[in-house]
Amino acid sequence: MLETFNFRVILEYMPLYMQCFAATLWLSAVSLIGALSVGIIACAMRLSAFRVVSSISGVYIESIRSTPLLAQLYFFYFGLPSLGIMLPEWVTGVFALTLNSGAYYAEIVRSGIQAIPNGQIEAGIASGLNYFQRMRYIILPQALGMTIRPMLGQAIVLVKDSSLLSLISIMELTRAGQLLTSDRFMPAEGFLTTAAFYLIIYYMLKGFSSWSEKRLIFREAH
Amino acid sequence: MISFKNVNKWFGDLHVLNNINLEVEKGEVMVVCGPSGSGKSTLIRCINRLEPIQEGEIIVDDMKVHDKKTNMTQIRAEIGFVFQQFNLYPHMTALENVTIAPVKVRKIRKTEAQELGKEILKRVGLGDKIQHHPAQLSGGQQQRVAIARGLCMRPKIMLFDEPTSALDPEMIGEVLDVMVDLAKEGMTMIVVTHEMGFAREVAKRVVFMDDGQIVEVAPPKEFFTNPKSERSKVFLNAIL
Amino acid sequence: MWGFYFSELVRSLPFFIKGLWMTVAVSGLSLIMGTIIGFIWGIMRTSKNKVLRYLIGAWVDLIRGTPFLVQVFIVFFILPGIGIELEAFPAAVIALTNLAACFICEIVAGGILAVSSGQREAATASGLSAYQQLRYIILPQALRTILPPLVGQYVLLVKDSSVVSAIGVVDVTRVGWLTVQRIPEGIMVFGLVGILYFVICYPLINLSNTLERRMTVAATKL
Repeated sequence: MLETFNFRVILEYMPLYMQCFAATLWLSAVSLIGALSVGIIACAMRLSAFRVVSSISGVYIESIRSTPLLAQLYFFYFGLPSLGIMLPEWVTGVFALTLNSGAYYAEIVRSGIQAIPNGQIEAGIASGLNYFQRMRYIILPQALGMTIRPMLGQAIVLVKDSSLLSLISIMELTRAGQLLTSDRFMPAEGFLTTAAFYLIIYYMLKGFSSWSEKRLIFREAH
Repeated sequence: MISFKNVNKWFGDLHVLNNINLEVEKGEVMVVCGPSGSGKSTLIRCINRLEPIQEGEIIVDDMKVHDKKTNMTQIRAEIGFVFQQFNLYPHMTALENVTIAPVKVRKIRKTEAQELGKEILKRVGLGDKIQHHPAQLSGGQQQRVAIARGLCMRPKIMLFDEPTSALDPEMIGEVLDVMVDLAKEGMTMIVVTHEMGFAREVAKRVVFMDDGQIVEVAPPKEFFTNPKSERSKVFLNAIL
Repeated sequence: MWGFYFSELVRSLPFFIKGLWMTVAVSGLSLIMGTIIGFIWGIMRTSKNKVLRYLIGAWVDLIRGTPFLVQVFIVFFILPGIGIELEAFPAAVIALTNLAACFICEIVAGGILAVSSGQREAATASGLSAYQQLRYIILPQALRTILPPLVGQYVLLVKDSSVVSAIGVVDVTRVGWLTVQRIPEGIMVFGLVGILYFVICYPLINLSNTLERRMTVAATKL
């Protein structure tokens, strides 16, 4: 079969692939921004002194982490309509991705914050800085700097997770592969091309991760 | 300036501050010493409510620190605190470290704060290091930045919690020199330390604590040559 | 209406339990084989042989850079093209085992590298062979670093197993998907699916956290 790898078909479908490549990038980007926002809020809630607030966030994070994304995706895809909420598939998809990665980002930010030595927070308190000032100028800059690598790791996971959106009929990279397979019975051309595109995104993100780590080499005081 | 009235504090069952009564006058330099666990660090940490107290009154410049309703921001702006572990912000330069509080708390304009910051960093001998990050500075230099950070708020009081205990011996001198200059300029200071040379040179009174209690308060000369309590004698024998 | 659906759902419970067993079967087999292969690859990944290190590293990177769904499709649709006919279940296990092996390989390699080089030097100085070093000195110590993330990885793999429902394996997720066609109450049906996954994953997550805490304590006691 390998001898008959049909590059011409791939070229024929290339416009579709490019479209779907853009779709995957766009869906991932929107979900990423959403997830970061949700994550920071959920983290702040989790670290709150109010037990109710902290528990709500805790329940959210633990539910997401203990269940598969596909089940969450189907939950919203099939569940929201039964509540009367009809959304375009891509909105449901982005919503599920955002909520899912949001929980993981919450944990990443939390680990970053908790890694900051208590002494610095005390120094902030002693100078008269209030909670928000300490967060904004002392804690969050350091936490975010320290967690660049796990954050980009989760971004890579999110891009790969976006492949599941093909299962709710969203037109993205994996769906392109499915189409080539069902239209022309060429799964190899279909899915290997899909895989290649994902690898492009993967290596781009990995490269960005190394580059940003070098720029932000985190200088710890001794 | 600062007064403790019948102050008691517990950590769980541990009675860390036992019936503390103390008055510190404006412009006074006070040294607090004592064995580990005597409560000396806790004592000064209560002054700016880094630690709360359960009983008694702490009054700073006519403001009630012990009262939960008191807004501590104002009080903390008047108190500079120097930590044993320096606690500089690693992601900021020396200049940024010393100017962040003046800008955000005292609401001074950034350019003004930077001028002040440069001046004070120069005063502590680090005029050429203002753009350096803490990781590029030695321990002694970091602690001097920490002192500058406190001074940039133009405080009425400077508190020092074992400022030289985490330093290599050869760097202790440079930090003590800065503190001595500060004392000679008339700053109200409370210093928790084992550096008895410093006490002898500038302290008006030495407070000896043991087991959460103030055992003895005396001018340094008297304390070192003629300690009144047994526990003081034991302590002095151990460290001198 | 809601009551009717609920009683229908209760009647479908046996179906869900069968799906649960399928999830356990797919995950369990893949975990066991994946752990064995993962350990072997992990040891090879840290060997002196550059070719070996590179080959395994490249394969692991490929697997980490592409979505699992795409990998499942490749195994299921493409292997028949080169003569390997597969049913859904074996294809799923192969894909999941491979995934497991790759991630476990990295964890094992990390654990081995974390054992200080001084240990190797001491072992070499006393004349122990490479195999003996690995068996008696390196691996026992590496296991302490490996165990918590390993258990964490098991949780991830159980969740990833939900993806194989896309090629028709009747696991918990697939049962949910089939059920929701009859009982259009997405929230109830996938709520149940979520609970079933939660029951498996939550204890494993706690186990991983406990192990991590115990290992940190043990390390500091040294």
